[in-house]
Amino acid sequence: MQGEESLVQRAQKNDQEAFAQLYEEYFDKIYRYLALRIGNEMEAEDMTQQVFLNALRSISSFRWKGVPFSAWLFRIAHNQAVDHLRRKTKRASVPLDESLVSSGDSPHSTTERKIDIEQLLVATRRLTEAQREVISLRFSSELSIAQVARVMGKSQGAVKALQHSAIVALRRTMLVTEQ
Amino acid sequence: MKEDKEFNNILDECLERIVVDGETLEQCLEHYPEQAAELKPLLETVLAVKAASAVEPRPEFKARARYQFRSALGEKAAPKHRPFFGWLPRWATALAIVLVVLLAGGGTVAAASNSMPDSILYPVKLATENVQLALTTSQLSKVRLCAGFADRRVTEIIYMAEKGDAHEVEVITERLDDRLETLVVLVSELEADDLKDGEAMFTTSGGEEAAAPPAEPTPPAEPTEPTAPTEDTDGYSPGPEEPVSPVTVEEGGGIWGGRGQAQSEDELIMDVFYSAANNPAVLRAMLEEVPESVKAALLEAIAVLENGYENVLEALE
Repeated sequence: MQGEESLVQRAQKNDQEAFAQLYEEYFDKIYRYLALRIGNEMEAEDMTQQVFLNALRSISSFRWKGVPFSAWLFRIAHNQAVDHLRRKTKRASVPLDESLVSSGDSPHSTTERKIDIEQLLVATRRLTEAQREVISLRFSSELSIAQVARVMGKSQGAVKALQHSAIVALRRTMLVTEQ
Repeated sequence: MKEDKEFNNILDECLERIVVDGETLEQCLEHYPEQAAELKPLLETVLAVKAASAVEPRPEFKARARYQFRSALGEKAAPKHRPFFGWLPRWATALAIVLVVLLAGGGTVAAASNSMPDSILYPVKLATENVQLALTTSQLSKVRLCAGFADRRVTEIIYMAEKGDAHEVEVITERLDDRLETLVVLVSELEADDLKDGEAMFTTSGGEEAAAPPAEPTPPAEPTEPTAPTEDTDGYSPGPEEPVSPVTVEEGGGIWGGRGQAQSEDELIMDVFYSAANNPAVLRAMLEEVPESVKAALLEAIAVLENGYENVLEALE
């Protein structure tokens, strides 16, 4: 991909192609992040679309100044996820979405993947909100520690500590599930 | 504690080696023989998590989303119709307002400053704001003005959201975005001298400081109960000693005017922090109360507010 800073500057000047490139670069990552945070395929789809529409609206207010575009974009997704989850906790909890599978897999691997995802979604529900956020951003969307720290507004040390405690908790939960 | 920190760093280094550099788990563990026993199960867990979370969006959804996004891109790139007074150069806008003041009296401008977006005087309110900004010489005063205008937009969003007018909420949100963007530029241009500067600015007839945003009516259905403490997006949760209260529109206009004008850097920063925390919280609290048709527009307004204030705070830093 062309230099991201240059792409963002062009997008801010209403260059459709530049914004389209940013969209293609981040669409899947944002979707994966929201899918793991929300645990529901349809809701994750709707919210992914909304993230990019919001980004389109407010791209002009983005200032580079050391803040990567990815951190800004994931921040929008993070805010939407927080709003969504806050509203959702006021309603009855929704069962895990079994449709969250990789559509390109063979039947056999799909079954394996599906089990893994269900286990993972169950396991992440036992994490704290911040731990779940770190796991989603770090391993589902593959952001660096520095980027995760920017999105969450925490220090890198705090994110590393959250990452460690989240992995330990996941390990424990997944072992119990397997037994 | 120190050991924990060291282990956290080692764990992260291992993850980078595996995820970014493509090392195998065994290769990675060779670098840290002393921690290998503790690292191994954690790294295995991460690999399992990565494999499980590699979900892809459905192709039909991707195609539909791409099409809709392209349409939105096209709409944004299309030329917008100019707002009232928008076709005039800045000096002409100022002249037009001066003429309005002379012909209709300061009362018209004062009345316009109280108007809401569904009022016939609302365009005068917007134009007056531009004139105030254009004629204010002190940079710090410009910042205060602009921040106050942003607060006004929030008040207007609340008013129109309660009326169920999603389109108007979107239009005001665009204006809010512009105001916050201007605020970022103004704050970026602030110099040390400006931050000590508390001098008077553009004045209107009667000697009233124009920098103090004029009084606005309280929107009819504006929430009056203090909002329950709301955890913000950073996990910040105001304690009982600092309840998040809704935007209050007081004499002086908006929450800025209502709390007095910032006279120093510290006060200015505190005011920005207050608005940055309070305004999104107020809109968020409204989400449960407004009609379903307005919620998407309100969510967009919240996103614009949060992003805008984040940029303002960074510029202040």
